[in-house]
Amino acid sequence: MLNQFFTNGTMLYSRSVTGWEEAVDLVTQPLLSRETIRPQYVDAIKKSISSPGGTYIDLGYGIALAHARPEMGVVKTSLAVLHVSQPFLLADSPEHRITTLFCLAAESNERHLELMKELASLLSDARWRQQLESVSNEEELRCVFTGEEDNS
Amino acid sequence: MKFLAVCSTGLGSSFITQLNVEKALRELGVQGIETDHSDLGSVSQGDADVIVVGRDIAEAASGLGDVIVLDSLIDMKEITQKVSSALERHGITVPEKEQKQ
Repeated sequence: MLNQFFTNGTMLYSRSVTGWEEAVDLVTQPLLSRETIRPQYVDAIKKSISSPGGTYIDLGYGIALAHARPEMGVVKTSLAVLHVSQPFLLADSPEHRITTLFCLAAESNERHLELMKELASLLSDARWRQQLESVSNEEELRCVFTGEEDNS
Repeated sequence: MKFLAVCSTGLGSSFITQLNVEKALRELGVQGIETDHSDLGSVSQGDADVIVVGRDIAEAASGLGDVIVLDSLIDMKEITQKVSSALERHGITVPEKEQKQ
């Protein structure tokens, strides 16, 4: 299921970013270029993050799930992820250091059930999180999500 | 009895939380508990016995009754422990409690 969403180009690695807004720009880029979201979705995410309490998308362990509502510009249910080695601060908040930022675009509240199930099960796995934390390039990131061995 | 996971948009963080609450209930060996997720704007007191939220919206959710506040939405240890305590607060026996704590 996740493999269907994480195709080439939707799993990104960067050593560092200048801040959370650049992280949002980077992680939404693959979805924009595939036209599964409209540019307004990116603005909606940024607005949501910078609003009071907007850091609720921080799931813990440096992982955040950026998203906005379906009607804010989702064309097709899709997912992208950005991993950085150097943490950035979500909404510039020192309490929210992030190294993995997902962008979820869901067409409706119900359609993404299976996707969320798989994502929740991966993210809640402490051993998997440890693997994720050590990722230092795109190929390693791909392997963490596909479960394949890194042959590079 | 019903657990309701709540976040601002009602489809990302709260959904993950609901799925993890369900996982915790399975691990605790408790059956027949209802779970759901929703957005903060459409929840009112009495919609569920226990509301589950992340720390960032704890304040906004404080008027909703019995509220569990999670530091992390993906820390199964924390979730299982807090769900277990909530079940006991509501008079529900937790079969696997000993192994989990």
